[in-house]
Amino acid sequence: MRAPLAVVILLLTGLAGSGNADAQAPADEFKKLCISCHTIGGGRIVGPDLKDVHERKERAWLVRFIADPQSMLASGDAYALKLKEEARGVIMPTVPGMTMDRARTLLDLIEAESVLEKSQFAGVQVSDRPFTKEDIRRGRDLFLGKIRLAAGGAPCVSCHSVNGIGVLAGGGLGPDLNQVFERLNGRKGLVTWLTAPATTTMGAVYGDHPLEADEEILPLAAYFGELAKDPQESSQASTLIFVLLGIAGTAAVLMIFDGVWKNRFRGVRGEMVRKSVERVKG
Amino acid sequence: MELSRETLRYLDIFLFTALPYLSITVFLVVSIMRYRQETFTYSSLSSQFLENKQHFWGLVPFHYGLLVVLTGHVLAFLIPRSILAWNGKPIRLYILEVAALVCGLLTLVGFLAAIYRRLNSNLVRKVTTVPDWILFWILLFQIVTGVYIAIFVNWGSSWFAAAVSPYLWSLVKLNPNTAFIIEMPWIVKLHMISAFLLIGFFPFTRLVHVLVVPNQYLWRRVQVVRWYGFQRAPKGQ
Repeated sequence: MRAPLAVVILLLTGLAGSGNADAQAPADEFKKLCISCHTIGGGRIVGPDLKDVHERKERAWLVRFIADPQSMLASGDAYALKLKEEARGVIMPTVPGMTMDRARTLLDLIEAESVLEKSQFAGVQVSDRPFTKEDIRRGRDLFLGKIRLAAGGAPCVSCHSVNGIGVLAGGGLGPDLNQVFERLNGRKGLVTWLTAPATTTMGAVYGDHPLEADEEILPLAAYFGELAKDPQESSQASTLIFVLLGIAGTAAVLMIFDGVWKNRFRGVRGEMVRKSVERVKG
Repeated sequence: MELSRETLRYLDIFLFTALPYLSITVFLVVSIMRYRQETFTYSSLSSQFLENKQHFWGLVPFHYGLLVVLTGHVLAFLIPRSILAWNGKPIRLYILEVAALVCGLLTLVGFLAAIYRRLNSNLVRKVTTVPDWILFWILLFQIVTGVYIAIFVNWGSSWFAAAVSPYLWSLVKLNPNTAFIIEMPWIVKLHMISAFLLIGFFPFTRLVHVLVVPNQYLWRRVQVVRWYGFQRAPKGQ
């Protein structure tokens, strides 16, 4: 057993080493984690504009908040709750692996970018042309995957649901997107968010397969904008229909099994007794 | 007891990077050792001879259901793009998901029938060991969570292809990236953890019969089986 044990130990130690490989240049980190909701000098999107944030609140508080916003909110911190209210209830996600040190590095970057005339993080250019019917239709097809995403990302319906896409609705892994246009504060917020999705799962899934600005993100925004006009919540009926279909199918297959193996061997002893009786009689 | 975030993070790292490697290593090493040292224990130890009527309602739905469900998981791992392309039309997605749910339910029904039989038939109970019972409970957990996920965390065929497949490939490439799955609902994470445990526990149980399925039965030449003693001579002889 010695050799295999050594392999296991090698593997485990190797992995422990690779687990801490997330140190990145602060600008890359900001781009990956922050720009979906924040600008530096470009105005509020979903979250506040971070220009001169260090003048609005003391550094120690900011470090703690960046490292674990959810705990701060849970603790009832007044300023954190105010931020949440200003963001219309959208909560800043806690970044896995975020540490106080990484938070400090990000704050240094924000401070340095704040003094520039125009920061590189002043915000994504969002087209303000009016949405057309064609945009909405295309957005729906992209959502469902009828039109494939150019960079190979998975269509939204894999994990999200909205009204009006089919009797069994859409995915239930991620949140319902009927009101996402409102939640993310309209076109600018939604478009920026989709440019660099900040949640852990979406960040991973779309990290190597980003959405295309004009051909994909804008039509999707148009579609979500259209959906948000109807305040109706998704119904739960689809789950019930799905379960009933499943049960009906299962019953049908069980009946088929019973039919296919109609002549199955139903017992050793019983069969022998039956044959003996037959022999004696016949 | 509330675990701190830091503890949970290390627990996640252990469960989703170390555990899969540990399981697959145990699986490979012990499977080979057991095959070399205790060849004749490579069997499901069929109890069909002891009880045959209830057995049908356990064995048949369980195996056919499970074969399809497992094949589905493997395909979503191997060819995620094709699965997503198929799911590109809602009607095709729904057909796939309903079929998968039916097979999941068949697995569950068959498994419950098998457990019921083991508990109620004295003969079968006698030949059931402690590792068998442990395996039964893990498998039951695995099947129940699977069916629950199919119903309440739609649509697994798509998000497995989109997120779980890249995570599994990152494990294969020895560069684990848990970001794909770490924020998933706890029920999904439990289903994955119990799958890793099953793989590790596999070679210690009757599951090894999976590795020695007599596939050649499908294409070997027909064997003629003659029964002596029961048949009356055909007329005219």
